Amino acid sequence: MSVPAPMAPAPPLVALEPPLAWPAHLKSAVDEALSHYPVKRSAILPVLWIAQREWGWLSPAALKLAARTVELPEPEVFGIATFYTMFNLKPVGKYHLQVCMTLSCSLMGGERIYRHLAGKLGVGHRETTPDGRFTLSRVECLAACAGAPCLQVNDDYHERVDEAAVDRLLEQLP
Amino acid sequence: MSAPRGPHLFKDIDTPGLTGIDVYRKLGGYAELGALLQRAPEEAIEVVKASGLRGRGGAGFPTGLKWSFVPKSTAKPKYLVCNADESEPGTCKDRELMEKDPHRLIEGMILAAHAFGANTGYIYLRGEFAYIQTILDRAIAEARAAGLLGQRCAGSGFRFELHTHLGAGAYICGEETALLSSLEGYRGQPRLKPPFPAVEGLYRCPTVVNNVETLMNVPEILRRGAPWFRQWGTDKSPGTKIFSVSGPVARPGNYEVPLGLPLSTLLNEHCGGMRDGFRVKAVIPGGSSVPLLPASMLDTPLDFESMTAAGTLLGSGGVIVIDDRVCIVDALRNLIRFYEHESCGKCTPCREGTFWMSEVFARLEAGEGRAQDVDLLADVADNILGKSFCALGDAAAMPVQGALKHFRAEFDHHVRERRCIVNRRRTELEQVPA
Amino acid sequence: MSAAPDTLVRVTIDGRAVQVPPGTLVTDAARRAEVAIPIFCSHAKLPPLGACRICLVEIGLPKRGRDGAPVLGADGAPEIAWMPKPQTACTTPVAEGMVVATASAGATRARQGVMEFLLVNHPLDCPVCDEGGECQLQDLAFAFGHDASRMDEPKRTFVSESLGPIVKKEANRCIVCMRCVRYCDEVMGEDALTAHQRGVHTEISSFDRQPLACEQCGNCVEVCPVGALTALPYRFRARPWDLRQHVTICPWCSNGCSVRLGVRGSEILRARGTERRGVNQEFLCVRGRFGYEFVNHPERLGAPLIRVGGQLQPAGFEEAVTFAAGGLQAIARRHGPQAIAFLGGENLNVEEQYLFQKLARAVLGTNHVDARTRHTAPVTGDAVLRATGGGRPAPTFEQLVRAEEALVLFEDLQAEGPLAQASLIRGQHQHGVHLTVAHARRVKLARAKFGGAWLAVRAGGELALVHALTRAVLDERARHPEPAPLDPAHAAALATLARALPAVAESEAATGVAADQVMEAGRRLLAATRKAIVFGRNTAQHPEAQALLQAIENLGWASGAITAGRSSVMFLGAKHDSQGALDMGLVPDRLPGYVPLADRDHYGAAWGATLPGEPGLTAPEILRAAADGRIRALWIAGDHWLRSAPDRALAERALANAELVIVSEMFLTSTARAAHVVFPAAAFAEKEGVTVNCERRPQRTARAVAPRPGARPDWQIFQAVARALGAAWNHRTAEDVYREIARLVPGYRGTSWATLVPLGSPWAFEPARVVAPAFAASHDGAPPAGEGLWLLAGGMLFLQGSLSHRTEILPQLAHEPRAWLHPAEAARLGAIEGAPVELHGPSGRITLRLGLDDAVPEGGVFVPDAQVGVELNRLGSPSGAGLRVRVQPAGARAAAPSAAERA
Repeated sequence: MSVPAPMAPAPPLVALEPPLAWPAHLKSAVDEALSHYPVKRSAILPVLWIAQREWGWLSPAALKLAARTVELPEPEVFGIATFYTMFNLKPVGKYHLQVCMTLSCSLMGGERIYRHLAGKLGVGHRETTPDGRFTLSRVECLAACAGAPCLQVNDDYHERVDEAAVDRLLEQLP
Repeated sequence: MSAPRGPHLFKDIDTPGLTGIDVYRKLGGYAELGALLQRAPEEAIEVVKASGLRGRGGAGFPTGLKWSFVPKSTAKPKYLVCNADESEPGTCKDRELMEKDPHRLIEGMILAAHAFGANTGYIYLRGEFAYIQTILDRAIAEARAAGLLGQRCAGSGFRFELHTHLGAGAYICGEETALLSSLEGYRGQPRLKPPFPAVEGLYRCPTVVNNVETLMNVPEILRRGAPWFRQWGTDKSPGTKIFSVSGPVARPGNYEVPLGLPLSTLLNEHCGGMRDGFRVKAVIPGGSSVPLLPASMLDTPLDFESMTAAGTLLGSGGVIVIDDRVCIVDALRNLIRFYEHESCGKCTPCREGTFWMSEVFARLEAGEGRAQDVDLLADVADNILGKSFCALGDAAAMPVQGALKHFRAEFDHHVRERRCIVNRRRTELEQVPA
Repeated sequence: MSAAPDTLVRVTIDGRAVQVPPGTLVTDAARRAEVAIPIFCSHAKLPPLGACRICLVEIGLPKRGRDGAPVLGADGAPEIAWMPKPQTACTTPVAEGMVVATASAGATRARQGVMEFLLVNHPLDCPVCDEGGECQLQDLAFAFGHDASRMDEPKRTFVSESLGPIVKKEANRCIVCMRCVRYCDEVMGEDALTAHQRGVHTEISSFDRQPLACEQCGNCVEVCPVGALTALPYRFRARPWDLRQHVTICPWCSNGCSVRLGVRGSEILRARGTERRGVNQEFLCVRGRFGYEFVNHPERLGAPLIRVGGQLQPAGFEEAVTFAAGGLQAIARRHGPQAIAFLGGENLNVEEQYLFQKLARAVLGTNHVDARTRHTAPVTGDAVLRATGGGRPAPTFEQLVRAEEALVLFEDLQAEGPLAQASLIRGQHQHGVHLTVAHARRVKLARAKFGGAWLAVRAGGELALVHALTRAVLDERARHPEPAPLDPAHAAALATLARALPAVAESEAATGVAADQVMEAGRRLLAATRKAIVFGRNTAQHPEAQALLQAIENLGWASGAITAGRSSVMFLGAKHDSQGALDMGLVPDRLPGYVPLADRDHYGAAWGATLPGEPGLTAPEILRAAADGRIRALWIAGDHWLRSAPDRALAERALANAELVIVSEMFLTSTARAAHVVFPAAAFAEKEGVTVNCERRPQRTARAVAPRPGARPDWQIFQAVARALGAAWNHRTAEDVYREIARLVPGYRGTSWATLVPLGSPWAFEPARVVAPAFAASHDGAPPAGEGLWLLAGGMLFLQGSLSHRTEILPQLAHEPRAWLHPAEAARLGAIEGAPVELHGPSGRITLRLGLDDAVPEGGVFVPDAQVGVELNRLGSPSGAGLRVRVQPAGARAAAPSAAERA
């Protein structure tokens, strides 16, 4: 056995940055979400949604805030957030283009829509354009099968689209 | 306004302003809610049992029976959870129902909750349905303001609170125990059964999980009685059902038809047949989790028993029409990738088996298949079937077995010719004008 | 099995019939039928999961006719209805008449299928995997797998990562059994691990892949059935088949966990749990798993030392023995045996403890014997025994797991008894144990997560709180007709006691705990049919220890935690054999087995000696007497007295004044440097013997490696000196010593080394010998107002005793030494985090950097007592209700530093 190693530097005792807190305008939404359930942990998805809508993605600080809010261990919240595909653990663009690639859409040209967008924007799956405007994602069935092919731009559905419709859509986005 | 789109749930579905409580009321909604809540809860269970209503989410379990499993004498609170996770590929009916007729769901939930004594309800929406959450929340607020929800529902002694809960992207949360895990704030993974949710569900309390369409059938059944409901459908599959038809038919969309209608009638008469230049090759009749039917079996009636007899399942009513320019191997590759993506990872057969099949399918489709691959797929599917923790594994295995049963030659062709059987790859198809 | 035979369920597994209690899982029933069913995700300490599916079997039940009677086949045997799908044996409870097939075609196919799936993404890196050779997956693949893989697609891969200094993760090898995540949550209460992503991409990791913020226990590594989690300190150091395995008892605390040491040559390379043995099975804490390193330490003493001309010089063993014996003899002759005292021994095995006091009493004739060197005030030798039920059967860890109510008094179990803590956490999680934790700091068990009550007792208010709890219990008894009435013999005494105790509401000022909280705790303690009270060294070392122990005895009887038949009060000693030290009479007023000095003839006759009848001095009294020159010779055995004595200045003076100091030790500590004779002592893994844990369970220790050359087990040293002093001791082995113990010592009679393996039973007195309770209360109300902050000393998980400084890993895991204050207190004092602060006590001062922690109450300063380089006892001994210290920024005169100085 070697001579005991020098003592590791003590970890910082208080975080260098103050922990993230809910902005005043979100407090009532957070309280409302918590009020819906008999146990706090049930509010984890609503609370993560509130955070993602506010900041666009779930930073480690936001995950810790959510953990504190619903009194769950931070690692568990990390596990929950990564289980679900709609939580962005990295920043995304202003418009998240989510192209359905599952069978019904695929039968009707979903892959072509995706390829068109990838070529037009110059980005791949889960990538964001350099201007931060668009993130492109392949997604699985969006429950718009009868309106295939379909894509979601943020929360909005756009059904029975073709390349031209997608081009128009992108141009119209503010 | 054109002719009604369906005999029951779709009769007034396109009525302008139906999302508002006033229009819903004008069409008769909530009119008898107070009176129905005055009746003994057991009566409602009996009526629903007599109606023969079966779950519309996929499994087809008799709804009244499910309610009757909830223990009567328990000190624990009881819960009603609406499964609005609609995630089964090919299925998009609940979305339209909730988007256009939210109050019918609320009324159905009040009545269902009353029947087995739940005082709290949740509507678990898939994450992509954020806009529907807005619609439902507004409708719930209206109902609450109108005294239909809350401490004394519609002037009765019944107390019921209702909340929406938005998921965040996980097919598995359509499985009822996974849904409950997710609702409780855990990773959305399925739980051991037994205990079944009716005994130990949400927060380990008695819980009923019902599909959107199921619950929306309830108000009219209770108002008009079981015989009224049984005017449609077959003896064992009474009532109407909404089918979502996708693929290259002339008029894809949601259709409400009586159960027992031949699949061919739905496709040819309601959907206007195939688009020009397309011929049907196979149909997945009940959402992506069920074995497909070849074109030769399209006359099979759309009811639970007939579909089972034909070697498939009625499922969720997601009818995916596959045309003859589509390679079955490629279609299955697409679906198995979906199941690989959506496997929660809890159990070994589903987690590893969907990954493995997905890899083999990709290789087959790319023309790199080997002689043993087809049997290997059959074997892997068989090793998943009945051995996984929940039905997701079965859902991935059954379509593979169905495809091998009816289209084995296409698989063999891929191996023999080292290329796809279809001349034009589906991805190269021209866009069909809408 | 306690169930009557007619309540058992009959099951047939692979043709073997067994009867098991209802609710037994098929896996457990199969074990009883000696049928092997493989498992991965299932674990004895975790509820069934049913996820890995390797335990799939075929299950059938007797067909039943309409009348409910089994349908019989042509052969008269019940017809079996087989379930259509294979079932997981780990989740399925047995049912009457159930038939299980583990080797049928269907079951075999299912298991082989799962086995193949498990290997789909598992890399074939067994040759470089630390788990290789003891890997459950490897073994099962050998048993059930195909010889060739049908899976030749590219495997999904993860990046390997280290989750801190202990856990190395190779996620590619993970089979997602979730044992680690669930164990971390449900048994450790740490929640440090989680599953990221899902499906085939599921990966176990921490929050955002940060180093694990946890107890670093390594149990995740232990329960991992494959090589996904391995221990960094052991990485690539050995192949398991090259290691000799020795199971012994961990020396790090009073819990007495079995530890499996892996030895190559003369070096211990790792420590593991034992799977199905010991009180702990797989469980170890960070100290147990990584603290063995001191055994291998290069600074271990190798030769005896004797002081010649003011210098310690190496000597031969016989030379040192002669030197020591001669010195003792000379002092005894000159000043009488009353000038000789024997200290320490809590770290020794019972054989050594027994001989140590025998040497003092029978050979030298002194009762100045006390192992309790940390005590700050005299405590009678039977006070702990009485507080824990007077020798009635003691509580076990299993009772902690199944308690309804557990009251933890003044201990941070994270440091003082990690297995006790884990038992309570698992009990809370799985069986709904309610925890009431009385502690000045919000210690781990008092966290909101565990759903218990935290009685935030003010420092100095400990005695008042136990009195208040007792009063609450007695009030509650008075209010409600008793379902389990008190023994009439005690009822009157307890009624008198109740009148002597202040009303609960009047105790608030003294305890700092709201009266309704105390009432609630009392009500819960009384109402629970299964209950536990746990206390430890903070009680025993308290300046008011004697009264506190009496108060706990009162509470135990009043609440029914102690009854005529058994006790549910557990004492966690400071060291692994503190209990043994009490049992073996390392106290000045009791002989082994708590035999009063009045009955000393029992031993005198056996030992052939006239034993002294006057009680000796207790350790704190010896400290003062030696400092004053009244004690002239000290033998300190396995105890770093300069650290353990409550007042370092006094101890230094005592060592300087003594004419003869004999130390038996593993290292040349500063205590040993002050000695005249130093005997190198064998370490725990180098000797055989028996140690007694907090369940009062004597357990065998094993010799895993030979003693460091020159070092001897302490019993050999004591015997050699005794023989040099003329005693006719002739023990050839420690077992031989134990035979004498088993012959003479009450509580140990009739036991033998053979009966203590693999797991001995906790000892208890025969009913005739149990000690009847006495009830008394002394209280002074609230501790007097005074200057300064209460010193809150206590243990720390990563550093416990000076030996932890002699390991590579433990000091790395600990914070650098700090004095911890509540942020508000620090602000009041003008002290800045990280800057040095001075602590002034009655005897001296120490300087430490300031740490902020809101778990420390305002009005107190927390200084862990085993920090490297921190000599806490420089401040002086606690007295009265405790020790108050003045805390100020270092260098500051009287006033707080100015803003400029702070910057």
